[in-house]
Amino acid sequence: MEHDRRTYWRSPEALDGPAAEPAHPLHTPERFANRRDFLKAAGFTIAGAAVSSCSRAPEQRAMPFVEQPDDLVPGRSYYQTSVCGGCSAGCGVLVQTRDGRPLKLEGNPGHPLSRGGLCAVGQAATLGLYDAQRLTAPRMDGDTSTWAAVDQAILAEMAAIRADGGAVRVLTGTLVSPSLLDVVRRFVATFSDAVHLQWDPLPGSATLEAHLRTHGVRAQPRLRLERADVIAAFDADFLGTWQSPVQFAAGYRDGRTLDAAPRRFSHHVQVESRLSLTGARADRRIRLAPHAVTTLLHAVASRLGELAGGETVLPPPDMDAGIEAAAADLADRLWGARGRSVVLCGTNDEHAQTVVNYANHLLGAYDGVLDLAAPSRQVQGDDGAVDRLLEEVAQGHVAALIVAGVNPVHQHHRGAELARALSRVPLTISLAPRLNETAAATRFVCPDAHPLEAWGDAEPVAGILSIQQPAIHPLGDTRPAIETFSVWAGEGAAAQDLVRAYWETAVFPRQSDHDEFLGLWTAALRDGVVAVSHEIVPPSPFDSAAVRAPAVEAPPAGHFSLVLYPKVAMLDGSHAYNAWLHELPDPVSKVVWDNYASLSLAAARSLNVATGDMVRIEADGVEAIELPVFVQPGQDDSIVAVALGYGSVLSARFADLGPRWIGSRVERRASDLVGVNAAPFRPAGSGSTSRVVRVAPTGTRQKLASTQDHFRLEETGSVRQAMEDLPPLIHETTLAALDAGGDRGDADHGGHGTGHAEPGLWPDDHAHTGHRWGMVIDLASCTGCSACVIACQVENNTPVVGRDEVSRSREMHWLRLDRYYTGSDDAVEMAVQPMLCQHCGNAPCETVCPVVATVHSSDGLNVQVYNRCVGTRFCENNCPYKVRRFNWFEYAREQPIENLALNPDVTVRSRGVMEKCSFCMHRIQETELEAKRQGVPLADGLVQTACQQSCPSRAIRFGDLNDPDSAVSVAMADPRRYHVLETLNVRPAVGYLTSVRNREEL
Amino acid sequence: MIGRALTLLLSVGFLASLGAWLPQAVAVRLPGQHTGYEPVQPIAFSHRLHAGELSIRCTYCHWAAERSRHAGIPAASICMNCHRTVQVTMAGLRAEVEAAEREGRDTQPVSSPELQKLYASLGLGEGLEPDPALTPAPVPWIQVHALGDYVYFDHRAHVGVGVRCQTCHGPVETMERVRQVGTLSMGWCVNCHRDATEQGIDGRQVHASLDCSTCHR
Repeated sequence: MEHDRRTYWRSPEALDGPAAEPAHPLHTPERFANRRDFLKAAGFTIAGAAVSSCSRAPEQRAMPFVEQPDDLVPGRSYYQTSVCGGCSAGCGVLVQTRDGRPLKLEGNPGHPLSRGGLCAVGQAATLGLYDAQRLTAPRMDGDTSTWAAVDQAILAEMAAIRADGGAVRVLTGTLVSPSLLDVVRRFVATFSDAVHLQWDPLPGSATLEAHLRTHGVRAQPRLRLERADVIAAFDADFLGTWQSPVQFAAGYRDGRTLDAAPRRFSHHVQVESRLSLTGARADRRIRLAPHAVTTLLHAVASRLGELAGGETVLPPPDMDAGIEAAAADLADRLWGARGRSVVLCGTNDEHAQTVVNYANHLLGAYDGVLDLAAPSRQVQGDDGAVDRLLEEVAQGHVAALIVAGVNPVHQHHRGAELARALSRVPLTISLAPRLNETAAATRFVCPDAHPLEAWGDAEPVAGILSIQQPAIHPLGDTRPAIETFSVWAGEGAAAQDLVRAYWETAVFPRQSDHDEFLGLWTAALRDGVVAVSHEIVPPSPFDSAAVRAPAVEAPPAGHFSLVLYPKVAMLDGSHAYNAWLHELPDPVSKVVWDNYASLSLAAARSLNVATGDMVRIEADGVEAIELPVFVQPGQDDSIVAVALGYGSVLSARFADLGPRWIGSRVERRASDLVGVNAAPFRPAGSGSTSRVVRVAPTGTRQKLASTQDHFRLEETGSVRQAMEDLPPLIHETTLAALDAGGDRGDADHGGHGTGHAEPGLWPDDHAHTGHRWGMVIDLASCTGCSACVIACQVENNTPVVGRDEVSRSREMHWLRLDRYYTGSDDAVEMAVQPMLCQHCGNAPCETVCPVVATVHSSDGLNVQVYNRCVGTRFCENNCPYKVRRFNWFEYAREQPIENLALNPDVTVRSRGVMEKCSFCMHRIQETELEAKRQGVPLADGLVQTACQQSCPSRAIRFGDLNDPDSAVSVAMADPRRYHVLETLNVRPAVGYLTSVRNREEL
Repeated sequence: MIGRALTLLLSVGFLASLGAWLPQAVAVRLPGQHTGYEPVQPIAFSHRLHAGELSIRCTYCHWAAERSRHAGIPAASICMNCHRTVQVTMAGLRAEVEAAEREGRDTQPVSSPELQKLYASLGLGEGLEPDPALTPAPVPWIQVHALGDYVYFDHRAHVGVGVRCQTCHGPVETMERVRQVGTLSMGWCVNCHRDATEQGIDGRQVHASLDCSTCHR
């Protein structure tokens, strides 16, 4: 049979001849290896690798000491007193050191100001110690150098300046260390024309200047909120960021105790333009535009003048009826509690501050609540210092400029000008520990040591002194500022000797408790604080002639007032290198890793923008900035609020932060920096407080990572409708209702008691025969300051995930602060509820784990066993409180030195493992074992969780629920106690005490 | 053709890796079950001599076992409590005395070569005086008993209730070189905990917790 001779083709190219036919993808012509060879090679390689890796685990070395140090037990933690160097508040700390490594800072309970609390920034300081990008050696003309070479060059130039009488300027922040101040003074005295300038990035000199005018002393009175019954705060975020928040929160809490007898509960009115943490806590919050805040302050003071009688010092301002009524009401309330009431104002305007002083003078605040005899030294700066410096540089006067502790190129509104001016000064030196904007513009960088590496001291309030003790040998070749100035002053003493000498000559004569200096020194080291007498500059009688009505000016139509504020975590931006602080959700906005233009709902509507839309902020004479919008309820419609401290070169390191996996890359932006620097928009001079700006949408968008809608507990949709009668997630009441009902005053909520009477799905198989650990969080005390969140992160080795991952709802914090809004936009209120694992008696997570990796322990903990977990995430799904966190990645810990910050008592979790709050069970075990070893019973209060220890307002109680006398059992029996989602009958071990506001109606 | 050559090449490679592995094949144990592990230590320290023959208490050197989670490897300075004077074994001393008698000379100070390593680690030279040429450096002992990073064992809790060291570490006082005896597996720990709670330790009642959080956290 004849074969079919037709050709079959599949593509036109085939007609051109066999060579042109496209090859089958699996039949490409052989070059070196075909698929079979590849598989063969792969198989052999894997087999070979498997065989050769079959050996025992790598040999581990156990390195002992050569010389056994006295009193050092390996594996045990030691605590020493010191001073937190995070800001100039000078809080007392205990440094936990283990096997030579400082691991955590805790508040020193014996310190009379901070009283055991420590804020988020202070908690995060250990990451700064182990920062791999800290300078490890001095720099000269852009290159790494040695101290000998740098000192030789600097001393030679200084000698020349001394010889020809050139001007030397030393620019620092507020120096809260008296011994450093003393050395700087001695250094300055070696020149014929040298001046030490103090300048604070967060300005506050108006208060000092106002007191100079009204009382004849340039001083900042010590604020004792524990003595106040009525507090009226005008734009002063004293619980969040203003001056010394830990100290103020401790005092504020003491003025609001429901469990003490006699009961005290202050009334706090907050008048502000943006929603601050303090405003959220206030009993009454009045939302006003910045200029109207000043008007109301003026009106209150005038009204107080009327009530006090006598001559009219301050005529009332022009105001509308609403402000007049509010002023009358507020003034009456303050006047009714005179002697125990105070007016606070965060506005950096001298005239407004004289009005504040006038009001406080009338109220008798200077007799108790405000202490001008023992003033605070936490804010000493002079706002005009940098401006005057710039003038002098422009005139060519300055021969040498030394900058320490501040970063004016980034933080000052004329920073760019200063950077240029620095090149005209022959000798410029920065003492910055990192290569920040100012250090990059100076010829010499002489890195200061970390506060945990150096001797120092602090006197935050006159007569209250602490010593800063080093906890570790310097990790790099850095030198404490005090030694550096001493070398340049021609003394060259060590920091310890300098501090000791100062204490011996200047502090020892101020006390009579100790006959010998060693006694004082030892007591100061042991207790962390000593109280000594201090020089009293008697204030002159109040000078009412100095009181000036502040100028007020509303922004023209179509413009906004720009309100620049510090964020709880970022403050002035000097900690912009700290990943923990960037990832800490802002307690109000819940945004991480960015600053943004906050607009009220109405303002956003008027501009037709939503959260994430970019806007351009413009003002005359300043380069415009572009920021994403964040719509913030509770904010005044006429303002746009932007956080300071962002856009620092120190944050460039985070451009690539985030786990990398196949096919994914961290989203890059135009700028590597985190956020945008808003400092150029700071109002010049201290007369005006806010700047008028134009805001226009750019039409582009930029994603903001916010945790505000993550891990919601509330039901939505049809489920919500079906469960309408459920109690709210957070309980709030008023003091009046509490007095009337004697219970939590929450009418909606049925069923009190423990909830144990209700039948459950689960058998009662948890005997809890020994201890049963539990926690109660008092929401009447909690301010939402977020110190606990960082404390938990430091203690429990929680990784940082970065902006991209947070936007995917993958943040790892074990403890979060749930924030709820209530009310309409013009009278919005905010409430905060810390949410952590509730350690349920009937835990829904335990029943669904297929590998029993999460179980109930005999002492009432819901434990997560990481080495057993296989990562099904069923538990996360079944947790009604949404407190479980899944490790999606092996979060990068690329810098070995940064791993030194890890707590060796807590497992570092790996990829694919679920984790959650453990009630700090390593702390429970350590305390239990030590009590057992010493043969003493485990006393109530000995076990403290990390969050509880850090809390400045002591809102958290932790202890044994099986002990009826323990503080936590007493709190559990409080009528204000409720459980979140109590109707689920999961029997949580965490209780909450209803938040209380001191007013008539909710 | 290329394929066959490749097979040959790969087989040679595989055999080579097998050959490289064989010498250590004897040491292969499953993870966590390294019983019999007996590494050669940088100094031939004999537990048999110290803990056995001389009956020095374990906690004389490993003093932290009573006070901390770690028993601790003693610092070189602790060895010097005795070895500042005791520099050689009795046999070594006798040998020197006999040699001196034989040669009709005075006896010379002698010290064991292993102790020389200890002195070097302390930076001590001739006559146990600090030698500036020597930098003190810790003796790099090799860890024998290693637990997983997710296990938190506490010596203090065990020593405090009277668990003998040998219960976990075996008869160390008979070992020239320390060898791992127990499996250190989880079942091994749990069984002991269960038995201790049921039977007590030395007739005393104890509570050895079986909670996961006792060891994992």
